[in-house]
Amino acid sequence: MTNIFIKNWQITLLVVILILSISAIAFSGLKLGLDFKGGTLYQIELQKQVGTDEISRIANIISRRIDPSGLMDATVTPVGGQFIAVQVSETDPAKLEQIESRIRQQGKFEATLNGETIFTGDEISRVLRGGSGYGVGKVGNVYEWRLPFVLNETASNSFTQKAFHQCSVTLGSNGKPAYDCAKTIFFLDKPEALVVVSQEQYDADTALLLEGSGLEGIPAGTSLEEVISDSQVPVVIYDQNTIFDTNLLQTTLKKTTLAIVSPDISEKVKNDLNALGFNVSVAALKQNIPWVWGVLNAKQVISLTADVTNEDVADVSQAKPFGTLSISGNRATFEIAKSDLEDLTILLESGSLPTPVKSISKETISPSLGEAFIGNILLMGIIALITVSLVILIRYRVPKLVIPIVIIGMSEIVIMLGFLALVQRPLDLAAFAGIIAAIGTGLDSEVVITDEILGKSKHSTESVMHRTKAALFIIMTSAFTIIAVMGPIILFSRNLPGLDKLFGFAVVTIFGSLAGIIITRPAFTKIIQKIVNANDKKMHEHHHAEELPPQEQN
Amino acid sequence: MDDFYRHRYKKMMLIPLLLFIPLIIAVFVFPGVSPGTDLTGGNVLIIRSDKALTETGIRDALAEFNLPELKVSTIASPTGFGAWISYSKDPIVARAEDAIGRAQDLISSAAGDTNSQTTITPANEAASIALSNQALTDLGMPTAEFKNSKLALLAAQDGLAAYKENFSGKLQNALTQKLGLGVNAEFQKREVSATMGVATTQSAIFIMLVGMIFIIIVIFLAFRQFIPSVAIIQCMFFDALCGMAGMVILNIPLSLTTIPAILMLIGYSVDTDIMLTSRMLKGKDGTPAQRATASMITGITMTGTTIAALISMLVVSYFYQIQVIYEISAILLFGLIGDMTATWLLNAPILLWFVERRNRQ
Repeated sequence: MTNIFIKNWQITLLVVILILSISAIAFSGLKLGLDFKGGTLYQIELQKQVGTDEISRIANIISRRIDPSGLMDATVTPVGGQFIAVQVSETDPAKLEQIESRIRQQGKFEATLNGETIFTGDEISRVLRGGSGYGVGKVGNVYEWRLPFVLNETASNSFTQKAFHQCSVTLGSNGKPAYDCAKTIFFLDKPEALVVVSQEQYDADTALLLEGSGLEGIPAGTSLEEVISDSQVPVVIYDQNTIFDTNLLQTTLKKTTLAIVSPDISEKVKNDLNALGFNVSVAALKQNIPWVWGVLNAKQVISLTADVTNEDVADVSQAKPFGTLSISGNRATFEIAKSDLEDLTILLESGSLPTPVKSISKETISPSLGEAFIGNILLMGIIALITVSLVILIRYRVPKLVIPIVIIGMSEIVIMLGFLALVQRPLDLAAFAGIIAAIGTGLDSEVVITDEILGKSKHSTESVMHRTKAALFIIMTSAFTIIAVMGPIILFSRNLPGLDKLFGFAVVTIFGSLAGIIITRPAFTKIIQKIVNANDKKMHEHHHAEELPPQEQN
Repeated sequence: MDDFYRHRYKKMMLIPLLLFIPLIIAVFVFPGVSPGTDLTGGNVLIIRSDKALTETGIRDALAEFNLPELKVSTIASPTGFGAWISYSKDPIVARAEDAIGRAQDLISSAAGDTNSQTTITPANEAASIALSNQALTDLGMPTAEFKNSKLALLAAQDGLAAYKENFSGKLQNALTQKLGLGVNAEFQKREVSATMGVATTQSAIFIMLVGMIFIIIVIFLAFRQFIPSVAIIQCMFFDALCGMAGMVILNIPLSLTTIPAILMLIGYSVDTDIMLTSRMLKGKDGTPAQRATASMITGITMTGTTIAALISMLVVSYFYQIQVIYEISAILLFGLIGDMTATWLLNAPILLWFVERRNRQ
């Protein structure tokens, strides 16, 4: 039994790969590209060429600006040193305008204190990146990051007023005064929405915040109540007995119709909110991030320090305004401190991209155009397959031949789709064109194999072995020419602008060629050899019966 | 047919060789392949509708907008109607973008020096705000006394984005109303900045050149003989020219859709040449002329199956107006018809000549 499998390893391999491909499609699923599901592609050009670090920082900022909560499924990819490609599954013109504005400008950054905004992103003139005060240094056993930035005049005056005497002094054990200062909370794009959180989720969040999370910029002992009150966003904590405060709902409805609810809020409550005129959206829970914290887009909790609260001055009118503020924090390792610093810099700098945007190109594909596409393309594939089979039938007049050609063609499609599912690349028109290209060369190779082995079998001086080798050489060379011509697209698409549309095409074509020479064409050769052997046997019997004169040899 | 190449095969070469000249002229000189919006920058609006669309109807509907370099083409198929409208940048947008660009330059020249703490000078600050306000005026939006140049710039950029979105909305409305399009009409939009177009063109030329070089290397490595390799390569160029001639005839522009088609064409067309060259140089059956004839039969089957598939793709994509597939299959079809000429009337005779001379020596 095993013998047959090993003897026909080419066919065994094909079957195994087919099973793997089908399971890849079944388990990871095929992602549909913009061409099929609709969406918009932006090509952002920066004013000048920048380095790798800078472009990825800019891409990072843009990604946060477009999609601060990570719910929109936007992909942001830097291309070379001057271009960034952004893909979103959005086609509504109003939303697109909003996204374009967001690419160009910041998300709304706000720092709050005691339920009041103390300064916003617009008011940050610049982050003193590169200045001596900026960076990570070792202080005792811990690593301290420092981030100095400049506020404009209006903001620095207002900050001085609001931060005045926000520390309480106690005398430390060593005789020096110790300060316990108020905390500011940083938000980026606070939602304009009603937030409804279940009591259970609220309790879980409270515990998580108290515990703190270094990675999320939450110090231990943070109070959820304070975060909510600082955000000034209407938050309802819901349990079975809650009756919605109609006043709150009405005032909220005047500003926004969006209601964000936690995943465990029941359908009934959602329906009630709907009936009141809200558009309900469920925000998913992310691991280790307090749900409310995530939904409110809170980013950092930073304590004020005694040097900015003018503790030494008795009256606010004498307070010294601070134009340059510096925030800092301690982290256990250098890496954590550095990544925190980078995150915060992005947050504060999001008012100004390090390099401004020069132009934005965009392409919108309507989703309804997409749905029809799939059916039409399937139809096209079937019709193409039938015509090709007819040509093969007319040419060789061996009906048996049509079956392996169709089977191999279908297998190639399945293997390529399986590959797309496995590497999670979307099936778009480019990938589809790649499949056509690969099947087309596959077909060429199948004709070569058939002609070398079957066509010449009647009157050839060359052995089957030699003929198979000749066919193999032709197939390999032709596959390598495909790889040669498509290779540069893959090699350079990350560095040259405008090629990302071709990337999927090149990847699929090259993969298809490789799968062809390794998997499907060997299997096809084996099948054809079997057909030829069977035919030769038959012909042999035929000869005996009719006593045909032997074929002429040249 | 048994021995197609027995007599006077050298004369066959005249046909493709003579065709080279008009092809080169048609593709590169007159009328020439036109670069598409992907490469030149500009705006494209694609409509699909169940109502008939005519070029004059669309031009009339859009007359009030005075769109520069307006191009309209329509298509009718049994499943519906389509129109493809392109125009270069609206002059108002161009003026506003220019002002915004200059306002931005004033700000970024101050911020460029990250190590110093200098901020923008008051004069530049005022100039930058003035430019942003000028952009807002151009766009017909209210200006304001801005607190700082950055806020002014952001307002101008927002204004520009809103203006563009609004403008294309107005275009769509005008078309929908004047042409009486129903709710089933679908619009697809593309906007490419001029600089993006230039960058894409450079990338495209670069990868095509590198691809050509790689393919030449593969062919030389595979056959290791000068004349046969050159024969394949000239054939590849001939095919690409034929595909591009098809673009000229059908008025298909060079774009990110058609560049892969040309690459694909090169891949396909080389297949028959490789098969032919391999059999001519390495085969042992029959005379060289008989081998060439046998190869031709195989080759025509190869190209024939592909052409059969392409024709069905062409028909279906035309029927359902799938422009991308339509363009790709049309280019491949022209290219492969060219390939039959170049391979069997030029490449095969060259190889035959080469092999016969080698055998005599």
